[in-house]
Amino acid sequence: MAKLLSNRLYAQEHVKDKATALADGHGLSSSRAASKHWTGERVLSVVLLGMAPAAHLCPAPLLDYSIAAALTLHGHWGIGQVLTDYVHGDAKVKLAKASVLLLSTATYFGLCYFNYHDVGLCKAVAMLWQI
Amino acid sequence: MALLLRTVARQGLCLSRSQFGVLYRPAVPMGTAAKKEINKFWAKNTQLNRPVSPHISIYKWSVPMMMSISHRGTGVALSSGISVFALAALVLPESYPYYLDLIHSMTFGPQFFAFSKFALAFPVAYHSFNGIRHLAWDLGKGFKIPEVYRSGYIVIALTVLTSIGLAAM
Repeated sequence: MAKLLSNRLYAQEHVKDKATALADGHGLSSSRAASKHWTGERVLSVVLLGMAPAAHLCPAPLLDYSIAAALTLHGHWGIGQVLTDYVHGDAKVKLAKASVLLLSTATYFGLCYFNYHDVGLCKAVAMLWQI
Repeated sequence: MALLLRTVARQGLCLSRSQFGVLYRPAVPMGTAAKKEINKFWAKNTQLNRPVSPHISIYKWSVPMMMSISHRGTGVALSSGISVFALAALVLPESYPYYLDLIHSMTFGPQFFAFSKFALAFPVAYHSFNGIRHLAWDLGKGFKIPEVYRSGYIVIALTVLTSIGLAAM
């Protein structure tokens, strides 16, 4: 048992050394980051799906701010994928990504401002539908 | 695929020159090498002003193709809409109820409001339902061609029904 554990610890350390050795050349760490990003996108999508019925059933300020965050991030990552598909060349990609980051930040700020100073997202949709 | 083979071959060449000493890299670092290759490809071809082969103008459109680009289209449209709303909230002087009352007081018929609700609900419903379809694919399910078409038609049907249902509320 002890030998198994020590073997596993040795293997982990060995992998970590290799990873840091390769990390400076953007080797394994870059594709690992991309993989985590992909998973994060899917997890966020599921979370956002769950927020829709929640917003209808129990509107609340906490949900308002959560939706603001989840919605903006989902859109930000989504537009990021569109950029990756259609924009090529280091300089253009950098510029496009910076612009989208600016827009997403402003959007998040605007939504939070709306949640704080105005009726909030859940109430806003409810009011719009009663028109 | 050819890109992968060329990159691996290049790695093999480097190793034979024993630049990396004892550390042998079994995994191909796709991160930087692939990006460099792709950038070089685009830089060269745009610089030479080469024409792109016609694809969307000649390839026969299919339901999965149209649904895929619609998913992207609704996503971009919804994202833009949210951004416009958020920026308007920052810039406009009055409050949300004020502007709602303003719209309500305008001389549009009830059909206008019902249609507007439908127009708002439709892209949200489509993107959400097709999003679930995408998540199913991410789990590895439903890749057979008949399944792709069937799930696609279900998404379209659900979208229409949900949009009508929401517009009627």
